[in-house]
Amino acid sequence: MKAKVITNFAATFEIDIGLNPDLIMEKGGRYYLVNAQLKPLVRADFYYAGVYLGKAKEGKFFPSFNLLSMLAKKNANRIVVDKKSAWLFICGRDILPKSILRVYGSGKKHTNVLVLNEFGECLGFGRIVGNLSDKSKIDELAVRNVSDVGDFLRRER
Amino acid sequence: MSGREFFQDRYKQLGWQLKEVTLRQAIRLNNANSKGKNLIDRLSALGVQLEKIPFLESGYWVVDSKVSAGATAEYLLGLYSVQEAAAQIPVSLFSDLGGKKVLDASAAPGGKTTQLADLMDNTGAIVALDVDKRRIVALSNHLERCHVANTAVYMLDARRAPTLGMKFDRILVDAPCSGNFAADKNWFKNRTIKDVERNAGVQREMLTKAVECLTDNGEIVYSTCSLEPEEDELNMDWAIRALDLEIQPVDCIGQDGLTKVFGKLLDPTVARCRRFWPDQTQGFFAAKLKRRQSA
Repeated sequence: MKAKVITNFAATFEIDIGLNPDLIMEKGGRYYLVNAQLKPLVRADFYYAGVYLGKAKEGKFFPSFNLLSMLAKKNANRIVVDKKSAWLFICGRDILPKSILRVYGSGKKHTNVLVLNEFGECLGFGRIVGNLSDKSKIDELAVRNVSDVGDFLRRER
Repeated sequence: MSGREFFQDRYKQLGWQLKEVTLRQAIRLNNANSKGKNLIDRLSALGVQLEKIPFLESGYWVVDSKVSAGATAEYLLGLYSVQEAAAQIPVSLFSDLGGKKVLDASAAPGGKTTQLADLMDNTGAIVALDVDKRRIVALSNHLERCHVANTAVYMLDARRAPTLGMKFDRILVDAPCSGNFAADKNWFKNRTIKDVERNAGVQREMLTKAVECLTDNGEIVYSTCSLEPEEDELNMDWAIRALDLEIQPVDCIGQDGLTKVFGKLLDPTVARCRRFWPDQTQGFFAAKLKRRQSA
C-alpha cells in the first residue's frame, strides 16, 4: 500500500518501478527507500532515512530527484536536451522542440517525461504539451517544466 | 576577557603569530556520483579552474571561476560538494569505513555526512544527529542532492545519543565550537573566553556520550574549527584520563598537537593530534581516538 503512491507516479512515465514495499518507510506523507542494513537503525522518530522518494500532499505526489534518477535508469519516457536548454530547464524554463536531441518512449501529449542532459543525467521532469519532434514550430512549447534540480537552490532562499 | 589583543596574546603564548589569511574556496568530488564523468573537464569548460589540494584525496581549490561553484548543474546533480579544505580532513582519518555502522554526532549541514557516505560507497549505515530543525532541513537537502542512500537522520542532541540504543564502529564528533577568525571576520568582536569554556564543557559531554555508543574496537574522530586549546588539546588530555581513550597516530598534514598549554604539561600522546593554524586552510583541529586496550 505504501508503495502504491510511488508506483502510480512511475506509471505516468509508462514504467513499473518495482520497489520492495517492505523497504519503503513513510513519515508525515514523505516516503523513503531504505536498505536492509539501514532499516534496523530507523526508529519511528526518524526525520530522514535512506533514499528520499518524494512526498504526498493533498492527493498529489511530489517526487524527489532521487526517484526521478531511478526512473531514468529504468528507461522511463525521457528526452535528452542540448546544453543551453539543459541550463534553462534548471532555471525553471520550459523546453522547445528545437532543443530536443533525442526522444525515448512514446512522447504522447499530456504524459510526463524526464528531462536529461547530454550526459544522460536527470535534471527533472515535465509534461509533454506539444509535438516533441516537429522542429519547424519554433515558438511552440514541447515540454512544460514541472520540477527541476534548480529547486535545491530555490529551497535555500 | 575578549578582543583581538587578548586572543592574539594567547596564540603567541602557544607559539603562533597571528596573521591574516584569505581562505580559498574548495570543493570535494563525490566519487560515487562523479566516477567516469570527466568532472574536472566539465567544470573547466564552464570556466571553473581547479587546483588539486595535495593533502586531500578528492579535494580541489577553486582557483578562478566564471560561475558560482555552488550553482552549476554538476553541483545540483551531486557530483561534487563545496567544502572548505580543512573540513575535508576529519572524515579521512577513519580507517576502513566500508560496511561500517557510523554515527555523525553533529551532522548538519551535512558536508562531512555526505563525505562519509561517499567513502563508504553508500554501504553500511550512518546515523546523523543534529538539534536544529532548520539545519536538519539543510542536511536532508544535502543528502538528497548527493544521492546518499545509507543515512538515517534524527533530531537529537548528541548528548542524548545513548538513548538511541545503538552501538557504532565509527563516531564522528565534529563538535560545535567557538570557530576561528579566519572563517568569521567578526570573530574577535563576538567571542569571549567564557564562550570558549562553555563550548569546551559541551564538547566533553558529547565525547562522554559518544564513548558510551562506541563498539569495543571502534574509532572516534574528534574535530573542531576552534584554535582555542580548551576545545582542542586540553579536551583530548582530559579524554585520555577521564574516558580512558588513546589518541591514535594519523598520517595527515598539520602540526603536532600542543603538549604544553599555558604552562601546563599534557599527556605526550596529545602530540598525535593535528592542529591547523590558519594558513592554507582555516583554523582546525582533529584527533583520532580509540578505547585504551588493556595490556
